[in-house]
Amino acid sequence: MYQSFNPKINVETPFLFFTGKGGVGKTSVACATAVSLADQGKKVLLVSTDPASNLQDVFEMELTNDPVSVPSVDNLFALNIDPEESARIYREKTVGPYRGKLPDSVVATMEEQLSGACTVEIAAFDEFSHLLSDESILNTYDHVVFDTAPTGHTLRLLELPTAWNGFLEESTHGASCLGPLSGLGDKKRAYAEAVQSLSDQEKTTLVLVSRPDQSSLIEANRASSELRDIGIQNQMLIVNGLLQTYQPDDEVSTAFYMRQRNALKVMPDELKEVETFMLPYVSYSLTGIGNLRQWVSDDPLLESALNESSIDTEKIQLPKLNSIIDDFSSKGTRVIFTMGKGGVGKTSIASSIAVGLSEKGHKVHLTTTDPAANLAYMFHDEGTMKENLSISSIDPTEEVEKYKQEVLSTVGKEQDEEGLAYLKEDLESPCTEEIAMFQAFAEVVERSDDEIVVIDTAPTGHTLLLLDSTEAYHKEMSRSTGEVPTSVKKLLPRLRNPKETGVVIVTLAEATPVLEASRLQEDLGRAQIVPTWWVINQSLYATGTTDPVLKGRAVSEKQWIRKVNEKLSHQCALIPWMHEEKIGYNNLKEMINA
Amino acid sequence: MKKVEIFDPAMCCSTGVCGPSVDPDLTRVASAVYSLEQKNFDVTRYNLANDPAAFTDNKEVNQVLHEKGADALPITLLNNEVVKVGNYPTNDELAKWLDVKADELQQKPRVAVPIDFN
Repeated sequence: MYQSFNPKINVETPFLFFTGKGGVGKTSVACATAVSLADQGKKVLLVSTDPASNLQDVFEMELTNDPVSVPSVDNLFALNIDPEESARIYREKTVGPYRGKLPDSVVATMEEQLSGACTVEIAAFDEFSHLLSDESILNTYDHVVFDTAPTGHTLRLLELPTAWNGFLEESTHGASCLGPLSGLGDKKRAYAEAVQSLSDQEKTTLVLVSRPDQSSLIEANRASSELRDIGIQNQMLIVNGLLQTYQPDDEVSTAFYMRQRNALKVMPDELKEVETFMLPYVSYSLTGIGNLRQWVSDDPLLESALNESSIDTEKIQLPKLNSIIDDFSSKGTRVIFTMGKGGVGKTSIASSIAVGLSEKGHKVHLTTTDPAANLAYMFHDEGTMKENLSISSIDPTEEVEKYKQEVLSTVGKEQDEEGLAYLKEDLESPCTEEIAMFQAFAEVVERSDDEIVVIDTAPTGHTLLLLDSTEAYHKEMSRSTGEVPTSVKKLLPRLRNPKETGVVIVTLAEATPVLEASRLQEDLGRAQIVPTWWVINQSLYATGTTDPVLKGRAVSEKQWIRKVNEKLSHQCALIPWMHEEKIGYNNLKEMINA
Repeated sequence: MKKVEIFDPAMCCSTGVCGPSVDPDLTRVASAVYSLEQKNFDVTRYNLANDPAAFTDNKEVNQVLHEKGADALPITLLNNEVVKVGNYPTNDELAKWLDVKADELQQKPRVAVPIDFN
């Protein structure tokens, strides 16, 4: 189908950037690539931004933000950057000196403004821009491998000519996302060179990493075209974790295989144009150097790799979805949010909870924000649906578009061309979608006076805190402009009340999704919201599959299941991997007791 | 010559779009300030998120903040005296303070010249 990715043959440029959304295995692929190149005698620097610090486990050493030689692999050097930590340091550098000098309430507003997603993105770019622009790096190493890439939003901000002069020198106008950059004016040359290196085909290859599933491929396509538009042309795609064979007598194995192949068939056309390689789904975990070497070798499926299933035989028993439903039903929870990063299945969990509650006789309204979910399809056997369950959907694209139009028509008409370009770029910020969505579902939550409302998304703590400070501000000023809608104002106290609201965090039993979910939890904690339940979804471990490859993976899930159950959650449910085709009211009912 | 200083609250974003609602007031103020600058008036804005030093260095502003907290922002000073707390000045107020016509304050802001990256 696709050629196996072989770093020895397929890597041609000194700089390699691996990009893809959380959980696709960027760090593993980047790591295997770096080890393989070093094994051929190339001098390699591996730059990781992996916040889970899996690299430290792989290399069995502490990594810092300076290159260190990896003792177990000749010619390999590694460094680790934690963008969250960089953002925190930057924030502290800006805010710290004013603690005690300015009142606490004032310092708090400064901190919150520097806690958004943009600050983290820019901080990461700041960290690796010097690696790209420093000639001595290229003279020292044959290859520099990054396990991440800047987003299009970040790069466009840096390219906007007004960004530097406009923001740093004029006080009339500012771009939100450049806020974090304001102390970094002296670095603009390094940034400009970094952007230039990125778009130089001789120097840089952008490697898109995707799982063979639909949402992951759509995301890869989006990143591909966005980065191509700003001049990063030299791209390649690696389909990571492709199951090579299946056991016809094992239902899970067959379905797993078919689901992957079907997803590849409907890959977006533009993405098909990108040169594509694959890396196989393997039974062993990609954590040791030996395993990584074997993975990109000529015989990746050879069973010489450590087989963990023989070591860890303890059975883990956890509640099913029905326990969550019983819990909410008996406590009389009115608003239920499921939250998690894309691809963890929060829509099907929300749908099942809604179905379960309606079966118990509650009046329930389900709202989804997942454009791929297509509720009509999910409830295609609607005839069997109870009368007390109603459904609706919020389309994020539509809501963001509506919000953008609203902004551009109210404040945009006073802008000239450059000001407008600026405003438009601000609207591309990750915060904008959050705000737009928040306004949309504040209206839905209003319904919880009469019925239980289940929503498959939740606002972040950052959004809530921004709203909270604005709320206080508006109370004080009773201004007529820029008013926060009433539904939004009412939402905040409601969300903070655990009697009324339940938050369910959905994750997968893998390193990155668990880490991302724990970040969501921390972020909500800042706004004093404590998740009621965690759900570990799509677990191979819970299926009891006998497929040798899948079984190996099932065993490696256990450490993450334990971590969620013992360290992160108050209460935790485990749900087996299920066929995507298993959709519809009766199947959602089935999921409850699976 | 008369001097106007506006001390903004911490803004992730002076355009207001990253916030929970769009505040057209921010753009109006930006336009007014720009127009005044073009007429060589001494008008300055400070954003708490980027320029906190201005808020500690200025005695008047610092005092208001310690008395009323973050909600006192924005604060406007005319010739080093606090003239407005908690709200942006209207165009009429700016015009009165600086002796210009209010309708002269609606010029569109132009952002700085493009930068040469090479």
